[in-house]
Amino acid sequence: MRKPRARSLGFGLLAAGYVFAVFWVFTRSEPVVASRPVTIRIAHWQIEKGPPDGVDAVIRRYEELNPRVKVEQVLVPGRVYNQWMRTNLVGGTGADLIEYGVWLDGLTDIPARYFEPITDEMLRPNPYNRGTALEKVPWVQTFTDGLLNQRVNAPDPGQFYAATVTEVSERLFCNRDLLRKITGSDRPPRNFAELRALFQKVADYAARTGEPIYTLAGARDNAAWLMQYLMGGAMMQSSQRNDRHGTLSLYTWDEIGLYLEGRWSYRSPEAKAGLTMMREISMSMKPGFLQSLRDAATQEFLRGDAVFIFAGTWDGTSIRSLSTFPIDVLRFPQPTRDDPVMGPYFFGAFADGGGGTAMEFYLNKQSPHKAEAIDFLHFLTSVEGNQLFTDHSGWLPSVREVKVPADIEAYKTPLDCYSFGAEYMLMGSTVSEAIYRNLYLLTDTHGSVDQFVDAIEREMPAAARADLGKEVSNRAITVRPQDVRIVANAALGWRAPQDASLQVARERLESSQTQSEALMLQLGRQLAIAGPAR
Amino acid sequence: MRGLSVYPARKFLPLLILGPLLAAGAAASADPDRAWTALADNRPQDVLRQLRPDAPSRADRLAWAAARIGAQPATDGNMREAEAVLVELEQGTDELAAEAAYLRARIYQLHLNEPDFAKAAQLYAGLAQRQPGSHWAQLGLVKLGLLKLYLLPDVSGPGADRLAAAEVLLARIQEPLLRRDLNLQIGQAGIALNQPQARFLPHLIAAEQAGGVTGNAQEDLIVQIGVLSERGGDWARAREYFEKYLAAYPLNVRAYAIRRKLAEVNHRLAQEGRP
Repeated sequence: MRKPRARSLGFGLLAAGYVFAVFWVFTRSEPVVASRPVTIRIAHWQIEKGPPDGVDAVIRRYEELNPRVKVEQVLVPGRVYNQWMRTNLVGGTGADLIEYGVWLDGLTDIPARYFEPITDEMLRPNPYNRGTALEKVPWVQTFTDGLLNQRVNAPDPGQFYAATVTEVSERLFCNRDLLRKITGSDRPPRNFAELRALFQKVADYAARTGEPIYTLAGARDNAAWLMQYLMGGAMMQSSQRNDRHGTLSLYTWDEIGLYLEGRWSYRSPEAKAGLTMMREISMSMKPGFLQSLRDAATQEFLRGDAVFIFAGTWDGTSIRSLSTFPIDVLRFPQPTRDDPVMGPYFFGAFADGGGGTAMEFYLNKQSPHKAEAIDFLHFLTSVEGNQLFTDHSGWLPSVREVKVPADIEAYKTPLDCYSFGAEYMLMGSTVSEAIYRNLYLLTDTHGSVDQFVDAIEREMPAAARADLGKEVSNRAITVRPQDVRIVANAALGWRAPQDASLQVARERLESSQTQSEALMLQLGRQLAIAGPAR
Repeated sequence: MRGLSVYPARKFLPLLILGPLLAAGAAASADPDRAWTALADNRPQDVLRQLRPDAPSRADRLAWAAARIGAQPATDGNMREAEAVLVELEQGTDELAAEAAYLRARIYQLHLNEPDFAKAAQLYAGLAQRQPGSHWAQLGLVKLGLLKLYLLPDVSGPGADRLAAAEVLLARIQEPLLRRDLNLQIGQAGIALNQPQARFLPHLIAAEQAGGVTGNAQEDLIVQIGVLSERGGDWARAREYFEKYLAAYPLNVRAYAIRRKLAEVNHRLAQEGRP
């Protein structure tokens, strides 16, 4: 009797094991060898809290929709990103989609050499927007800013190169408890005059209590963003005056050219007003802050050692998720017409972030899977994909029709202020290096506006020429290979006259090449007229 | 053991011998579409492996020359090799001859380490003289226009009207898109060369009306015409272009400034009794 029972038990266990194995195979298991024939990689430096989760969420959904494609997210720390990108691109091992920013030091030639335009795709609707309000809208117009920044910075003005994932702005994050403790009120400053008054109150409080509290958390990055913002506002009249093209914006090459023509300088009264304000604010940051990077400023703020931190919304998720106190998100209090420093040059409210979109991804020319890479980029920037990114990252979307969660609504910059696109910090990598190198003269206790201006004006003539020269050579890198592509498209078009797309591609390429070539000649002429730096 | 290790090699021996031969045969009878596709895809080295400069077909020789121009490293020696083939190919009256002549001019303008702009201009002009209706001659006139706007010494005097030299060429360009492109560049050069607005604004308007300007230039162009018209006191045209901008780009960052300008222009028009 015992034997049959044992046998039944054995069969029962076997059956249970079989059912479990079947369940596991059909629901959980992954094949030993990857069943997805195509793997693409997307690389970026946004390793703050938020974006990696956002991109992961998009990848999960994309892989559900596209079983033959695997997408790998490559996270590269910002400190090594420049070297990582350059060496991988030179070695032919770069990711398929790569984040790039025009401000990255010493990398201005990268787009022309290694990235492929995506103009044709940009002018057609994004296929993943089918069934949404953007179904018939060209891809480029589905972005909240129409990809303005990327078009402005494209190596070839007639081509589109990148798609963006998020809208960025800069905000003042306020430690509400600390503000109340120092001022007795939750009410933040509404304009720059009130902020000035607060500087004094915080200094008095620190002196009285002996606590090392400052009004603003400080670091080199945060100071640079602040200076860029203040200079953009202070120089608004000058920028408008110099807008000879009538585009209501200044391209960096134009700013450099205008400098070489003597149409603006850091010695001008409006530039000095912006620098004076920057110095004033620097005095309310921890001494020596230029030695630290943004992580240090974030830690200072999170420790409760500063009432505010001026940061990009890209730091918002980290700051808010790690803080132990309530945080208010404010727009930076602007100077008014009666401001004693900036008042005489006041033009109007100016943009804190400008509503531009960023975290731009470029297509690697050497990618073996360009079609799949573009397809993923389409999904990432579709209404569905960008909503997933927004919901999981806490970053603003870059795509229209994506719902903005209430807790980040304050990051959005409404169209209520001037945005002129003019940079007085990041005109070119050589100029930017010179500014960073001399910034301590402006922000140090023993420094001054005049010391900074004297130093930077000594370096600017050579730096501006170097950057304009780079603009010319980068354009040449873009323009030269286009000759071959133009004749190739023409030959293919004549062999297949029924394929109108080939003719359109050739016409577009010819037109954008003419634009780039003209710009190259124009910049070369400016350089020739400026002559060597003295 | 010995037999086992030799057997597979023996089995595949004919294939090992025939494989490279078959591959070589495939390369010899190259598909021209494949060569042009490789060039359109930025792969000139593939074409240089596939074709020879003395290929029997003129089209193949042209593809080889184009690949030589595009291949890296780009040296003057490579350019001279390409030019030798192009010189032979341009001896004809067909479109291929025109294309070869155009590419030859491009070598002098853009691809040599020390460009020879005067020689490039001479080649563009010669092509336009020989085959004025060819697309390549027409495109060459656009490039010649750029050289005259910014570089060529024949209009280098301090008071020289560089725009006029390009305008002469404009009259010879029949293809609408190429006319548009030169119009746009004459307009932009007028600004860069500090010419009076009346000299260059009509060119910008003509370019915009032709339509289809690529990239950021289209958006810029609409703003430019509006702003420059406003500066010139042409309120009605300024209004037309500001409204056009806001209809096309209502959410872009320049929309705030344009709305303010539109309000100002409307106020001016109302004052003049033209609401």
